[in-house]
Amino acid sequence: MISKKKISLVALALVASSVALAGCSSAPADSGSSSVAGAPDWCGPKKITLGLLDGYGGNSWRLVTTNAGAEEVAKCPSVTKYEYADGQGDTQKSISDIQGMVGKGVNALVVFPDAGEAMLPALRSAFEAGVVTVPYRVFPGGKDGVDYTAWVGADFVTDGQNWANFVKEQFPKGANILFLSGPKGNSQGIDERKGMESVLGGGNYKFIGEAPFEVTNWDPAKTQQVLTAAIAKYPNIDVIASDFGPSLVGALPEFKKAGKSIPTLVTSDGNVLGCFYQDNKAANPKFNLMTVATGNDNVRLAVQYAVAKATGGKVPDSTQFKAPMFENSVTGQPNQVQCRKDLPGDIYLSSQLSADKQAALIKK
Amino acid sequence: MTDQLQQRPVLKASRFRVSKGLVTMLVALVVLFVLSGSVAPSVFSTNVLFSWLEFGGVLAIIGLGQMLVVQQGGVDLSVPGAVSLAIVISSQVPNGQDSGLPLAIIVGLAYAIGAGLLNAFLVGFIKLNAIIATLGTNALLFGAVLMISGGIPRLSTDALRKIAGGSVSGIPNAFIFALVALALVWLLTKKTVIGRRFEMVGANAAAGNAMGLRTRTHIGLSYLWSQLLYWLAGFLLAGITAQPTAYMGIPYLLPSVAVVVLGGTSLLGGRGFPVGTFFAALFLGFLDQFVLALGVPYAARTLIQAAALALGVTIYTLNWKKMLGGVGKKQNNSPQASAVGAG
Repeated sequence: MISKKKISLVALALVASSVALAGCSSAPADSGSSSVAGAPDWCGPKKITLGLLDGYGGNSWRLVTTNAGAEEVAKCPSVTKYEYADGQGDTQKSISDIQGMVGKGVNALVVFPDAGEAMLPALRSAFEAGVVTVPYRVFPGGKDGVDYTAWVGADFVTDGQNWANFVKEQFPKGANILFLSGPKGNSQGIDERKGMESVLGGGNYKFIGEAPFEVTNWDPAKTQQVLTAAIAKYPNIDVIASDFGPSLVGALPEFKKAGKSIPTLVTSDGNVLGCFYQDNKAANPKFNLMTVATGNDNVRLAVQYAVAKATGGKVPDSTQFKAPMFENSVTGQPNQVQCRKDLPGDIYLSSQLSADKQAALIKK
Repeated sequence: MTDQLQQRPVLKASRFRVSKGLVTMLVALVVLFVLSGSVAPSVFSTNVLFSWLEFGGVLAIIGLGQMLVVQQGGVDLSVPGAVSLAIVISSQVPNGQDSGLPLAIIVGLAYAIGAGLLNAFLVGFIKLNAIIATLGTNALLFGAVLMISGGIPRLSTDALRKIAGGSVSGIPNAFIFALVALALVWLLTKKTVIGRRFEMVGANAAAGNAMGLRTRTHIGLSYLWSQLLYWLAGFLLAGITAQPTAYMGIPYLLPSVAVVVLGGTSLLGGRGFPVGTFFAALFLGFLDQFVLALGVPYAARTLIQAAALALGVTIYTLNWKKMLGGVGKKQNNSPQASAVGAG
């Protein structure tokens, strides 16, 4: 027993030292940053522990995002320990998750600050405790280098502009647009609305329903109720804009119940939505679909940034993640609407995490 | 002791006694209908009515479960966990395959029975405070939600979508399920010996004990019956929304208590009013659709809902006769009035 244990300890020490040596040997002498051989350039030689914190992990989008983050972390052998925590939509839990990780001595934190500015004090205290703190996607307020290391945001204004351009092409003379987003006041929805207005401003484009968006909390049951009420209240809805496309699949059949065609939809992608489009296109003459990539890969940029800062690797040039356009049912550019019937509905074909890997995750 | 026996007044003019809670809810619904007709007529489109009956039915089922616990003088805070777990099991176990649905039903019911027995043991037998015990159970249930799903439920199967989201001659299936649940709860509590004992224990556990009733069993098992109803609600919700999320039970906690109180059941325990609870759920559901159709901002919606709740409870919680000066009549508070009356 004892000898076995000793052997394995010695083996472990050997492996550890060889990894460390590899790190040293590959470090170029003339540069401020260095990277580990065989790893991407953002992976420096310093050993660190990294924590990934989610504010709300309760849907498949987040599952894919979390795993994309973990996949990115795994590319860098200098990250010796990786931890994950889910705030479950509870701001207080999210804050104590951050404090807990700082207490455990992590070197870098990548945080999805769902609660926005409510998360700022916790982020700041982590940053002040010397932890590399990288909030991503949702803007928590504050400033880079003062309240946290850097915010790696998604550019939701661009999403809004991409949607609006499609609307403009399809409805040159104007349109009634119903815009659905998540909880009241979420910055993602506000930015998307800004983006749409910058393109469609004035003229004959009219946003119907509550401004800046109809509140759905990204809850499918709520979305269904909101959409049903809107269909009854507004006889002419030309376009539905939504920042979580797959959550509409349960609600869109409301149009059929009302004896109307599903209108043009501008949103984010999802396998279930693509398949829904293909199944329902024929019966709904006005149903056109344009999607932007749903942005699961935003987390990769945030992880790269945090790891680079903490391990001494090469810091990425940009801190803004711009989601590319993904599907367009009219022009087919850059892609026609995608559907993989053989794979589960809740995967995202736009993600870098391969469709089959996502399917395996979800089948788990 | 007499306090507990002084139940909500019951109107006695008609042959069938109707609870004041039910009358209040019916009047409130009619008032809301009339109001909607003038300021938010879009609420009467078939779609909206369908959606109202669908979600109202789900809330009614949850409310009936909560009522069974409340009438035993308890309160069940494990609603969010129980409903979320039922949703997750209903979509996770079959994993998109219709053939897996029967297994999902069995597993879901097994968890519901487990949670119910746990609450029954904690509250009924070792007499922990219901708020504390069920809050703990709720945390355990969310643990199970995360363990089973990793926080992420799958898409519902087609069969489940048809069962829960379909309709029979225009009436949503979910609403029919709610009617069946109502009929069962009403018959079992009002028309069977064991049900009458159940109500007796709720009205006065000490008296029940003196009569030789198994009070602990009745109080404890109310938590089991309620879990079965929560499971049904979660199962239906999973089918109504094609792509459910893992925490969809959370918004149902407060409404579940609200419909019980609005329906006329006292939070101190006593008689249960299943029909009142049922219509209270429909009222809250309609209020939801009404404020949506009104098109007012989200903040105003929340305020209107809160105001309606407060008003509804006030209407029959206050002693209007006393407040208006008594009008010379003494209130009939005879204990026999309602403790074991049919409702």
